[in-house]
Amino acid sequence: MEQTEIQEKIFAYMQQMKGKKKLKEKDIIKKIMEDTSQDKDTVKKALRAMIDVGKVMYSYGGGSSSVEIPSEEYLKEKGLI
Amino acid sequence: MGGKYKTPMLDELEKGPWPSFVTEIKKAAKRTQMADDELGQVEKSYVTKRGYWKHGGIVGVLGYGGGVIGRYSSLPDEFPGIAHFHTVRLNQPSGFFYTAEALRMIMDIWDKYGSGLTNMHGSTGDLVLLGTTTENLEPLFAEYSSRGWDLGGSGSAMRTPSCCVGQARCEWACIDTMNICNEVTQYYQDQLHRPSFPYKFKIKVAGCACDCVAAIARADLSIIGTWKDNIRIDQAEVKKYADAGMNIQAEIIDMCPTDCMSYDGKTMKINDVQCNRCMHCIAKMTKALKQGKVKGATLLVGSKAPIVVGSLLSWVVVPFIELKAPFDNLKDLADKMIEWWDDNAKPRERIGELIEVKGMRPFLEAIEMPPVPQQVREPRKDPFFFWSESDFN
Amino acid sequence: MSLPERQTDIGPPHYEKFLPPIVKKNYGKWAYHEVLTPGTMVHVAEGGDKLYTVRVGSPRILSTDTIREICDLAEKYCDGYLRFTTRNNVEFLLSDQKKVDPLLAELKAKKYSVGGIGPRISNIVHTQGWVHCHSACTDASGLVKAIMDELHDYFTTKALPNKVRLAVACCVNMCGAVHCSDIAVVAIHRKVPVIDDVNVGKMCEIPTTVASCPTSAIRPNPKTKSITINEEKCMYCGNCFTVCPPIEIHNPEQDGVAIVVGGKVGSLRTNPKFSKLAIPYIPNEPPRWPSTVAAIKNILDVYAANAKKHERVGEWIERVGWEDFFKLTGIPFTFQHIDDFTFMRDTMRNSAAFKY
Repeated sequence: MEQTEIQEKIFAYMQQMKGKKKLKEKDIIKKIMEDTSQDKDTVKKALRAMIDVGKVMYSYGGGSSSVEIPSEEYLKEKGLI
Repeated sequence: MGGKYKTPMLDELEKGPWPSFVTEIKKAAKRTQMADDELGQVEKSYVTKRGYWKHGGIVGVLGYGGGVIGRYSSLPDEFPGIAHFHTVRLNQPSGFFYTAEALRMIMDIWDKYGSGLTNMHGSTGDLVLLGTTTENLEPLFAEYSSRGWDLGGSGSAMRTPSCCVGQARCEWACIDTMNICNEVTQYYQDQLHRPSFPYKFKIKVAGCACDCVAAIARADLSIIGTWKDNIRIDQAEVKKYADAGMNIQAEIIDMCPTDCMSYDGKTMKINDVQCNRCMHCIAKMTKALKQGKVKGATLLVGSKAPIVVGSLLSWVVVPFIELKAPFDNLKDLADKMIEWWDDNAKPRERIGELIEVKGMRPFLEAIEMPPVPQQVREPRKDPFFFWSESDFN
Repeated sequence: MSLPERQTDIGPPHYEKFLPPIVKKNYGKWAYHEVLTPGTMVHVAEGGDKLYTVRVGSPRILSTDTIREICDLAEKYCDGYLRFTTRNNVEFLLSDQKKVDPLLAELKAKKYSVGGIGPRISNIVHTQGWVHCHSACTDASGLVKAIMDELHDYFTTKALPNKVRLAVACCVNMCGAVHCSDIAVVAIHRKVPVIDDVNVGKMCEIPTTVASCPTSAIRPNPKTKSITINEEKCMYCGNCFTVCPPIEIHNPEQDGVAIVVGGKVGSLRTNPKFSKLAIPYIPNEPPRWPSTVAAIKNILDVYAANAKKHERVGEWIERVGWEDFFKLTGIPFTFQHIDDFTFMRDTMRNSAAFKY
């Protein structure tokens, strides 16, 4: 499976869960491993590549870290769009 | 700039001999609106007896999830300068050593992008830069990282390891604390910057049982230097302490917790088999008594502050381990501990709490350590215990 | 203006870059050290080299201006080498003894507090407080300043039976080793939080919030899509506020500080100890917290008058017994002192032998 394909699945899952549950990196990797039968390292690599370009980002709240889809406002502040 | 606010409450804290944090904020407030608005908001807190900060959210540098803590005033209209007031954690060099040249460089960049206020240092050990905006984060990071300075940890991640001054300036350091600290920091860069753990994980390295970095009280993995063989005694130096007026019987012999020492006015004797290596006699008679030569560390696990179910002090899991660069044996053990914790912990559960829930046995089995009496103060009292299949073979 | 290219995961610079030549030369070869004055010590290497350390206090919050001034001093007297301690002191590292007195003179002229070495108090480890933290229920820096002003002589000159480690935490999260200090201040809440049902429903994960409570006082409330708190079980720890900020735990008129005593982290003589409750509540009294400062001074004075040489606060109290501690200090004993959280089994007396 191409990395872009895995990344599309990651993004779709994150969009689906937005506002329902704060997803930790581990939650996302576990779910996509199940859905795609890819190994942990491959999924993690795909997710990290998205984090590196700001497609998704680490967040902090409620005493722990999670991964979220950034708002347009934040991306503007960061100069990414 | 500066002087936008009247601060009669805070002005009271510029009186007295101890250096004043208010004076520090005022110095920065002469140059930055951020620090001036900070002064105004803190004055308000002193009147109303409450804080006005919000925190969290997506704030950081691209690719990292640690090192920046999002902080916002809850009164941005009243104090617009601190609408954003994020914290940046710069990973300190081991042992907190600096040159003036390096520190000035750090300050020059901070003056360009931030409030002009710092903490030297935060509780975990980072050099903390207090107060900047979201838009300044990327340039600030580019400036620091290109000059060899990286961010520390935050969130559910490996936190910036720290250590005592160790062999750089202490005769009691049984292990090279600064090298160990630097090595594990480098080894865990990914886990430090990208929060993927159930909760925080802290590592602290102390050179001896004096524990000047409080490793035993505030590190998930506490590494504390120790030795195995006999204490070396210089009888001539013992006599000099006596001649200088030390009451060796009262101050040393009677305070030995294992009652393993004697002194007849001429010769000091130590029954080393009974010594528990507490460091009292060595610390009080540093010229006369030296640790043995077989040196290493005790590894302890689990300490933390009260949240959630009460404070913990770390428990001994590995009584003695030799630690020689590049410390592969330590990294291997730490990996095993973290893997077991990561596989089993609920969100926001520290490793000490997980061991309490699961029991010490599965943890010791995961790190391949046998049970030994050094791990406990006393054996269990109740007749309830588990048996595994492996116990019957 | 273009920015330099960022690097990632390089870690901190290697400490060797910042070590004075005398330290590099004698790394791991120190023979002994002597405390010369409350603010100076000398470390002597096996080969005879001598390294002088001059320690000064700092408020931990430092402006870049002050750090530059410290850098100037380091360049003038110690070839630019300096370090910080785990308790936020600054240490000037001198290889030339002749420069020690001139440095001390300039530090005195510039009103730095020199001290903190040996059997006395060192700088107070503390947290961010109102200056920078969302969960603070007192101000750490202000308390530290007021306490250090009062105890200043114990930093700069006066000796105690042993070192006394002080700490201030602005809430029970305790960023710092407050729970194992000789004398520490920890800010506490005393009232059940007020729930903003609408925002709890919008902003918080209900299962996580329920799970955050150490006493199982929180239940989901399906009607409001929020939670309820059993007031009889709540111990006001504020962990629910941490995971779900619309559960407002702050109560400015009822929040305040507790004082805990007798903790230590070293294994010297006796095992490391947690600090235990001495005073359950003193109101917040900004800007200078006079009642809290007086209470700490009282405990320190009683310790200084009664402990044996080398006894830490906790060791002294264990020798004379807690019943004596309360008698000698005149601190009233209350229901709050009896553990009803996790340590009751270990802390109740089960012996017929005790003092009056």
